[in-house]
Amino acid sequence: MTERVARILIESFPKILLPGLKMTVPLTVLAFSLGLVIAVITALIQYVKIPVIKEISRFYIWVVRGTPLLVQLFVVFYGLPSIGIITQPFPTAVLVFAINEGAYAAETIRAALESIPHGQLEAGLCVGMTRAQTMRRIILPQAFRTAVPTLGNELISMVKDTSLAANITVMEMFMTTQRINSVYYEPLALYMEVGLIYLIFSTVLTKLQRLAEKKLASYGRR
Amino acid sequence: MILEVKNMKKSFPEAGEVLKNINLSVDKGDVIAVIGPSGGGKTTMLRCLNFLETPDSGTMIFDGAEYDLRNISKSDIYSIRKHTGFVFQNYNLFLNKTAIQNVAEGLVTARKMNKKEARAKAELALTNVGLADRLDYYPNRLSGGQQQRVAIARAMATDPEIIYFDEPTSALDPELTREVLDVIRRLAGEGRTMVVVTHELEFARNIATRIAFMEDGEIVTSSDPETFFSSVNNERIEQFLSNIKIK
Ligand SMILES: Nc1ncnc2c1ncn2[C@@H]1O[C@H](COP(=O)(O)OP(=O)(O)OP(=O)(O)O)[C@@H](O)[C@H]1O
Ligand SMILES: [Mg+2]
Repeated sequence: MTERVARILIESFPKILLPGLKMTVPLTVLAFSLGLVIAVITALIQYVKIPVIKEISRFYIWVVRGTPLLVQLFVVFYGLPSIGIITQPFPTAVLVFAINEGAYAAETIRAALESIPHGQLEAGLCVGMTRAQTMRRIILPQAFRTAVPTLGNELISMVKDTSLAANITVMEMFMTTQRINSVYYEPLALYMEVGLIYLIFSTVLTKLQRLAEKKLASYGRR
Repeated sequence: MILEVKNMKKSFPEAGEVLKNINLSVDKGDVIAVIGPSGGGKTTMLRCLNFLETPDSGTMIFDGAEYDLRNISKSDIYSIRKHTGFVFQNYNLFLNKTAIQNVAEGLVTARKMNKKEARAKAELALTNVGLADRLDYYPNRLSGGQQQRVAIARAMATDPEIIYFDEPTSALDPELTREVLDVIRRLAGEGRTMVVVTHELEFARNIATRIAFMEDGEIVTSSDPETFFSSVNNERIEQFLSNIKIK
């Protein structure tokens, strides 16, 4: 490695990390949280089998999971303006990622809900709780626990997928790296560098995921 | 009289008419043992009494109020449930709650009792079923018999007017069966009102004030244990009893 490359890498590191902290992280956190809200609602609609709305949620999941995230980003950001709907890059990215995550996590949470023995819901009713109270106090907490490992994986995927937001001009880490590269033209070194930063982010999340799983394990399960 | 049910009917699309015409009345302090062959509708009857299944028709008088089962409102259902208890064959404990939390849940969440009071009440209920030393155990750490006793404590803690038991010992080994039957026997002795579906004939004979024999969706006979066991004159009952004794 030449001295020039080393200098470029060292100088660019904070320049890439900063948008990582200012864009990639907030984008991930906001989109994932919003996605979870969408997912819980969508999963519950299916779990309690609300007619019609249930079909609509199935349709939503089908469409979102069946089309590339990049295409979804393009449809909203470059497509919608042609019918007069113009959106800002960052909010668009948050929204599209959330809608995307909502569909995947909805399936995760629905499966987790269905794995919880149904008798507990009836037991809740029999001690005088309403269906909603029993869902909130008994069924959902258990379903979440079951879903945590999968949701953790989805979160890690999302951190990496945020690089796609570069395509709709969100100044996140990858876009910043491309900019720097266009000045110095050191693609191998610079793209490996940004890859390394993604790797650090993912590793931190994986560690957190392990920690969460350990903390959540059990209910005294033998 | 606490409960009176008249002409209760229930059909399932796949199984046809499972409850044909149920008439049942329960006085305060009654312990009604419901026995009968498998598939006769015992579980379905209990589930309809607590609206885990929706009865098709009939009337119910509970606690002095009369309800048309054909169109009983959600809020009536909730309020009836608040005055009844239900013990399931397979316990159905809340797996994310400890023993004491299982018992307190209905008090805190459904009845808005303050936490401290609820905890005290739950502790008392668990002590009554012999589990004072297992308050903070999760269900997964308890034996089947202990889980069922937690479930009984949970059903008792809300001071129900009537408690329904659906084969409370069928999922248990013989040694564990005893400890659960002992608890139920004690509750009966305290004058609690109960309807117990069971295959334990000796037990039924000992604790029941009345034995109801159920077959093909109907309560065929209902009499006190003496009469029931001494003057069996019904061929089907005789057959049922001898089948059980052979087992
Ligand atoms: N949810 C349901 N859907 C369809 N059929 C049902 C349902 N629940 C019960 N049945 C049918 O109703 C009949 C009575 O069942 P039920 O469980 O009430 O009998 P039981 O007397 O409790 O029997 P056991 O002694 O074996 O517990 C059976 O033929 C059963 O298949
Ligand atoms: Mg049954």
